[in-house]
Amino acid sequence: MAHERVRAIVVGVIVAGCLAVLIVLGSRSLTHFDAALVGYTFATLFAAFGIAYRYAMWLQRPPSRMYWRRGWQVLVSSAALQRIASGIRRAVVDVAGNRFIFQRGFLRGAAHMSIMWGCILAAAITFPLVWGWIHFETMPGHLNTYRTVVFGFPAGEFQIGGILSFLIFHGLVWASILVLAGVMLAFRRRMIDHGAAATQQFGEDVLPLVLLCAISITGMMLTVSYTWMRGYAYGFLAILHAITVIFTLLWLPFGKFFHIFQRPAQLGVALYKEEAEQAGQAKCKRCKKPYASAAVVRDLTTVERELGFRYEMTALGPKSADKEGKGTGKNRSSRADHYQQICPPCRRALFGLAQSALWSQAIEPERETREPGAA
Amino acid sequence: MATLPTEEINTIHEYGPHRSAPIRGKTTDEPERLVKTHCCFCGQQCGIQLKVKNNTVIGLEPWEDFPFNRGMLCPKGVKRYLQGSHPDRLKTALARDPSAPGGFRPIPYAEAIEKVASEIKRIQEKYGNGAIGVLGGASLSTEKAYLLGKFARVCLKTPFIDYNGRLCMVSAGAGNKKAFGIDRVSSPWADMIGTEVIWVAGSNIAECSPITTNYIWQAREQGAKIIIQDPRITPAARTCDLYLPVKPGRDAALFAGVLNFMIEHDWIDREYIDTYTVGFERVEEYCRAWPMARTAEVTGVPERSLREAAELWGKAKTSFFLHARGIEHHSNGVDNVLGTINLVLASGRLGKPKSGYGTIVGQANGQGGREHGQKCDQLPGSRDISIPEHRKYVASVWGIDEKDMPGPGVDAYEMFRKIDKGEIKALIAMCFNPVVSLPDNTYVARALDMLELFVPIDFFLTETGRHANYVLPGSLQEEDEGTVTQVEGRVIKINRAVDCPGEARRDWIIIGDIAKALGRPKGFTFKSSREIFEELRIASKGGVADYSGITYEKIEENMGVFWPCYSHDPKTGEPIDHLGTPRIFVPGSYNPVAKGKGPFYFPDGKARFNVAEYRTPVDDASTEYPLYLTTGRVVSHYLSGTQTRRIGPLVKQYPEPRIEIHSRLAEKLGIADGDWAVCETRRGALTLRAQVVTTIRPDTIFIPYHWPGDKSANRLTVASQDPISRIPQYKVCACRVRKAEGAPAYAAVLEPQQ
Amino acid sequence: MAVPGHLEFFVDPSRCIGCQSCVQACSECDTHHGEAMIHLEYADRATSIQTVPVICMHCEQPTCAEVCPADAIKRTSDGVVQSARKPRCIACGNCVLACPFGVPELYNDQLLMMKCDMCYDRSSVGKKPMCATVCPSQALFFGTREEILSIRPQSMPTNRFRFGDQTITTRVNVMVPRKKPRPLLLDVTSAMNERPQNRTLRLGVVDQGEPDPFAEVKI
Repeated sequence: MAHERVRAIVVGVIVAGCLAVLIVLGSRSLTHFDAALVGYTFATLFAAFGIAYRYAMWLQRPPSRMYWRRGWQVLVSSAALQRIASGIRRAVVDVAGNRFIFQRGFLRGAAHMSIMWGCILAAAITFPLVWGWIHFETMPGHLNTYRTVVFGFPAGEFQIGGILSFLIFHGLVWASILVLAGVMLAFRRRMIDHGAAATQQFGEDVLPLVLLCAISITGMMLTVSYTWMRGYAYGFLAILHAITVIFTLLWLPFGKFFHIFQRPAQLGVALYKEEAEQAGQAKCKRCKKPYASAAVVRDLTTVERELGFRYEMTALGPKSADKEGKGTGKNRSSRADHYQQICPPCRRALFGLAQSALWSQAIEPERETREPGAA
Repeated sequence: MATLPTEEINTIHEYGPHRSAPIRGKTTDEPERLVKTHCCFCGQQCGIQLKVKNNTVIGLEPWEDFPFNRGMLCPKGVKRYLQGSHPDRLKTALARDPSAPGGFRPIPYAEAIEKVASEIKRIQEKYGNGAIGVLGGASLSTEKAYLLGKFARVCLKTPFIDYNGRLCMVSAGAGNKKAFGIDRVSSPWADMIGTEVIWVAGSNIAECSPITTNYIWQAREQGAKIIIQDPRITPAARTCDLYLPVKPGRDAALFAGVLNFMIEHDWIDREYIDTYTVGFERVEEYCRAWPMARTAEVTGVPERSLREAAELWGKAKTSFFLHARGIEHHSNGVDNVLGTINLVLASGRLGKPKSGYGTIVGQANGQGGREHGQKCDQLPGSRDISIPEHRKYVASVWGIDEKDMPGPGVDAYEMFRKIDKGEIKALIAMCFNPVVSLPDNTYVARALDMLELFVPIDFFLTETGRHANYVLPGSLQEEDEGTVTQVEGRVIKINRAVDCPGEARRDWIIIGDIAKALGRPKGFTFKSSREIFEELRIASKGGVADYSGITYEKIEENMGVFWPCYSHDPKTGEPIDHLGTPRIFVPGSYNPVAKGKGPFYFPDGKARFNVAEYRTPVDDASTEYPLYLTTGRVVSHYLSGTQTRRIGPLVKQYPEPRIEIHSRLAEKLGIADGDWAVCETRRGALTLRAQVVTTIRPDTIFIPYHWPGDKSANRLTVASQDPISRIPQYKVCACRVRKAEGAPAYAAVLEPQQ
Repeated sequence: MAVPGHLEFFVDPSRCIGCQSCVQACSECDTHHGEAMIHLEYADRATSIQTVPVICMHCEQPTCAEVCPADAIKRTSDGVVQSARKPRCIACGNCVLACPFGVPELYNDQLLMMKCDMCYDRSSVGKKPMCATVCPSQALFFGTREEILSIRPQSMPTNRFRFGDQTITTRVNVMVPRKKPRPLLLDVTSAMNERPQNRTLRLGVVDQGEPDPFAEVKI
């Protein structure tokens, strides 16, 4: 355990260190770094460490490690090229389009989509600004024109007061609106849906929504303050906003938001499953019907062993050989030696059959003592 | 009227049966209230709570306090809530119109009532009062059943009324009346727990009365031995202690043989027989003709099993006998019932603790619907329309002259023969779908088309309704209040959850409106179901089925009241607060017929042994038709399927009828599981998919009967009836099976439930 | 909210009559509305009418949770193994293949595993799960241990199961005969060579000889 933790800490430190280096480089040795945002910067550095740490811990669990490895194996193999189309389709439809969430309900899909894109937009704007990777400067001689500087390189110009600049400078407002709409939909569902009400937990389901809501509202209040209220209470609001954002960043690796980083793994899993399907099906040793791809079953058997499960059916060996035609070679080869070789429907049947067999056994002694047809 | 108004497929497109909409995703509806009521399907009448919001039933919540089922429900009970907001629900009256898309056009309710009344007048003036017939149903509340009987005799002045209980419980009813003088089970189901032997004859309890299963299993846990008599290995038969694989139609022989064996071994209670019964000698003599070897040969049950049954039943100290349609749906159905009663009486345990006997009623109000006068020969309180005192009493309650009351009519099937003969010209039907449910139903459909006027009162347009001139939109069970009497004889209360939609009306209002339009409103001006019930209490008073002491309040306070329940002590005539009679036939008990002379409902207080003669079924297997066809229910459907074939999840559970066939027979015929197969009888042929199993007698096939038209098992069944109860012989007829050349034409056109 | 510890689930497949009430009722439950999580299948319809109802047994150390690469399956402190957490589940299907009882199911359209959660919306507020409330044969029973011991004198509950060399302990119990041979656990894999019987004598003191009751029927 300690060993795994050390490894994860090392990974965390490396990732956080890389980010720090990039910040220094991107802001041209901190010349474009806004000192007022230093709190945010340290929070993102910590979040980077935490996420990397948790990701590393996660990948050390046998099942995750197995899929991680298999995912990459497919990705770097020649098969990946053949699957590139389906990979892209999946990324667009499921990850970007949230189709699988829309399948659970339109409003649920709409809520998630709106929160997701709101957060992505906000992150895309703020993180580079905080890290000093982007800044804007007026063009010498053209006071009405702004130039965007990315990583110290000029990248595009636009007019002050133009529609584009309005859209860009209010980017966070649009993000907040998206997030708030989604959060409200999500809250509504959690309040009136009986199923959600029964299974939800504060930390997993309520807190994330509260945090998103707090960030969006305090952020919008900043805009309100400087646009319409001549900066009233701006300093206080700025601190309030900073608190909500920093708390969220610190919590990012541990709470529900970790799924943002974990979830894309489904692409790799899907790719691997698709590939494994091609490689052949495992047939159930009881009903002889195919039930899953052989590679997946093999991998899962390995994972179960690594986890310490003992589903090997060694004890059954000689007994069943006796019953089934005196251990002929044919039966031997078709016999299951691991419970994983039995399909789920057969497992359910076995559960019932084992129970009814106990009842039959229970009456055997009684029946023997009775004269048949004593009447 | 010669034919259907339009191609049947057009009517199906317009009026269904369609399946209810899927329910996935609706988890946010908060009900405004929960209405405690009962499931509308089957005679168990499980307690259930309906969730109601915006005058719509939106879901169910089990009712765990109701003593009979304690929350337990079968799949029909779970999904019954889906019938209310169904798109097929009739919301207006309909008039036949071949130019309309489905063959019918909506007309205003008032206009429909006027048209129906003027047609009735015309027909009665032209052909006489008896030219009109009324068909009722045993799924109606007791109030409606009572009202229909009164409507036919008082308003229409016709003797011709009968009901679909004729296809259901009449053999048991007739047998019970012959043997006990009363038609009710002896004791509540809870008495089963602790008994030594339970014998279930001809009842697939797992599918037809699922809640009874738990009672039987509980009895088994307490040590009871279970005997199941059935041509199929039903779920209960799989794990019972003794299974009697009887050949269809041979039940009376089985009972005679077993009783004979019990007599030979002196496993009968002579003392009880002498004290409480008469007529045993003749039975004893008849049974002598049934030694074990002959019984085994006739019934197809191994001798050893018959002996075991006799020994188990004979030696037990307490016992319960249950039977159902399996032994009753026969042209000697009453004899089969009497055979079981002989076994029960000879064992000398009836009326003693932890012992009982009864039929498991099939229809929702199978018990209450058969007691208060919608039967052709019956008046309220289980009175007889041929007995002058009974006529006088009921006539006085109804405020008519006894001479004006028509005499006995004929059974439901005979009414169709009368239509065929041109004697009945008009028919009003409520809660009866004979085109699906009567045997040899091609004949029934033909008869319907000979009518000058056919008016069904229904909530969905049934297959029978497609032959209508006018359809009046009636009420679903949850749209009206009333009482029903469930399997144990417990009178319970159905509560109204929602209002009728559109121009649909509660059924008793429609009856009242017709009476008014006919200019004969007297006696039909009820303002509530309660008013009808109050009149029914008086009408039933003094009858065997005495409801006089029952009130709606008493039912709700006590979660049901077992009849007879007296308003006045039958012994003293003093008013009493009687709480009903859960157990009858208890030695020493008083009843108004025996007046203390004994526990049974005859003047001498003694039960009657009746010779229960075995007769070979009509249309028995022959070389031409070598197999037996038997029909029955599946768990997810109810009766003719008018409701359950519209409830999506129930259709999904069992979409279409299949021919259940033993693998040995199937192999011989070259039929594999899932193949299309043709079943032919002397009446017709059906093409259905085969289900190959080993859980049915190899000489017998089974087809469930809930579907219409080309899927209707009753195209095949024989219209032979019991001479006493007039029940049709649904449970056996000769047939032959072959592999079909291909899929039937309907497979490409119809949805499974249509 | 949590499922009270004294309330337990007891399953007796030998009572099951295959009516599918549980399936229909399960789809009424609000945590997975419209989808039934319970499995009710014929052991083999061709040879027997035997049906087996299977709910989640709520293992103490759930294999499904251990093999989940996304760590999406959680056992709450009341011993209920919850359905996959929606944000995490990546629909890999490991749980479906690993569960020794064959319980979880993958809903590919939603990229989500769902399984029986003991009707958490009901059981966590002290109500019975839907399936156990409606089950007409009470093959599914939910209540206290004292209750079931008093009403079922022939049976006793066990919550230990063997699959090959692996022993699994669960929150849900299965009913086994109370008299000898008293099993300490239900050995599921020992039934590998069992086939469903046409007739299973449960308490049968009656010896019916031939296991096929139709052996003598000629056609």
